[in-house]
Amino acid sequence: MTTLTAAREGLLITATAHAVREGRRSAVALIEARLDRIERLDPALNCFTEVLAERALREAAAIDAMVAAGRDPGPLAGIPFGVKDNYDVAGRVTAAGSIVNRSRAPASADAILVQRLNRAGAVLVGTQNMDEFAYGFTTENAHYGATRNPHDTLRSAGGSSGGSAAAVAAGLCDFALGTDTNGSIRVPASFCSLFGIKPTFGRLPRTGTFPFVHDLDHLGGFARSVADLALVYDTVQGYAQGDIACSDRPPAPVSPRLDQPFSGRVGLLGGWFDDLADQQGRDAAAQAATALGGSDTAVLPGAARARAAAFILTCASGGNLHFAQLRERAGDFDPATRDRLLAGTLLPANAVLQAQRERERFREEVSELFECYDVLLAPATPCSAPLLGQPTIRIGGKDLPTRPNIGLLTQPLSFVGLPIVAVPICNGTLPIAVQIIAPPWREDIAVRAAATLERAGVAQSLEVPM
Amino acid sequence: MTNEEVVFLAREAGLLIDPAYLQGVAHNLGVLAEQMALLFDPPLDPLVEPAPAFRA
Repeated sequence: MTTLTAAREGLLITATAHAVREGRRSAVALIEARLDRIERLDPALNCFTEVLAERALREAAAIDAMVAAGRDPGPLAGIPFGVKDNYDVAGRVTAAGSIVNRSRAPASADAILVQRLNRAGAVLVGTQNMDEFAYGFTTENAHYGATRNPHDTLRSAGGSSGGSAAAVAAGLCDFALGTDTNGSIRVPASFCSLFGIKPTFGRLPRTGTFPFVHDLDHLGGFARSVADLALVYDTVQGYAQGDIACSDRPPAPVSPRLDQPFSGRVGLLGGWFDDLADQQGRDAAAQAATALGGSDTAVLPGAARARAAAFILTCASGGNLHFAQLRERAGDFDPATRDRLLAGTLLPANAVLQAQRERERFREEVSELFECYDVLLAPATPCSAPLLGQPTIRIGGKDLPTRPNIGLLTQPLSFVGLPIVAVPICNGTLPIAVQIIAPPWREDIAVRAAATLERAGVAQSLEVPM
Repeated sequence: MTNEEVVFLAREAGLLIDPAYLQGVAHNLGVLAEQMALLFDPPLDPLVEPAPAFRA
């Protein structure tokens, strides 16, 4: 079912935007084509929670008018994009996949990242489905339905940013923004055959997004080529007020050095990351390591504890965040979310404090490993996309509940805020991705390694011929 | 963990949990307890601290 790569088909964002900027392609026509595709395909896929057709056409018309007037609309001129349902869109209630949030006031402004993309000429076409409050890995939402994987519509698109990933994979928009607390960009990237980036914690301002776990939430995005992903990432970088965790470091663009081959030291993560992956994931990671010139196996002995700590902090923080609503209207939560959040409110302080201390210990362990390696590699998911509603997945010889365990390989790494690029590897019937993990603030290294793998034909985003 | 224990804990936390949810909450507390056990065996060095560090 999956055949062609975005690059081979000439669907790169840069090329499309270039044509719009030169007046060879109309932004309105481009948006109309995507809206038509959304109308045709989204009823079966359920990627969008709201399609913003009127706004998109208005913005596209403004871009065409700028070009006609001899002005440059920006490097993303006319490019249609979507955002996860937890990003603010002016005038719209940020539901974050819930009905609980419907009683909140509409957003007074777009999220900062949306504003930056708009200024670069990109056109927002809609908000996209997610697990309720981002607490899940499958985008099976009791209120808004499940998002289906375009590569096999019986399967999960991954989560929690599943609507965003599936929309990009199906060509309903050209890139999308998501959030990643425990793996919510990397998991859908793996299941939907996309490149995804989760930058260092604190790199991108979360101003204008609805939180899940304040000290683990990251923003990031999906695209179908490394160049596209890099362009989008560079566009949204930079400090902004309103996010206390956002670093005031200057932006560090990654696009200019994409053509330089990666030549660093590569460690293929063993132990936890090997034991809990299936053969396809192991093969994909090994293939990526070989292509990057790496043969070492690296181990993070504390990964199991780090995952446990992330699991506990997530549950406790989520419970804390939603405590008032859980007390007043627990029945309005998605049952799959509700019972976990309620449990989170009852966790002993002893466990939460131990989890916080564990994070510092694991951060030291990871820092020591990066003295030996420039990047670490690991499968992004323990398996390829499970069926929707599939109760268990087989991991390490055991049948484990699907929903909480899809993030086993992503959770320990986001727990300490590392920058990671997920790259899709084509080595099976269904897609799977490998995580390229870099030291803090070195997104450039991970992106360059991803570009090297893409050029070598090892990493490719498969297009769905729909 | 029994439903009665969940009710007790919830009351201490200021929550009144609908009886229909108790089993699900108890199940999730069981899962969390398994994860907690991993964090305490072996115990962390007493010098490991979670305090924020400020570096210029």
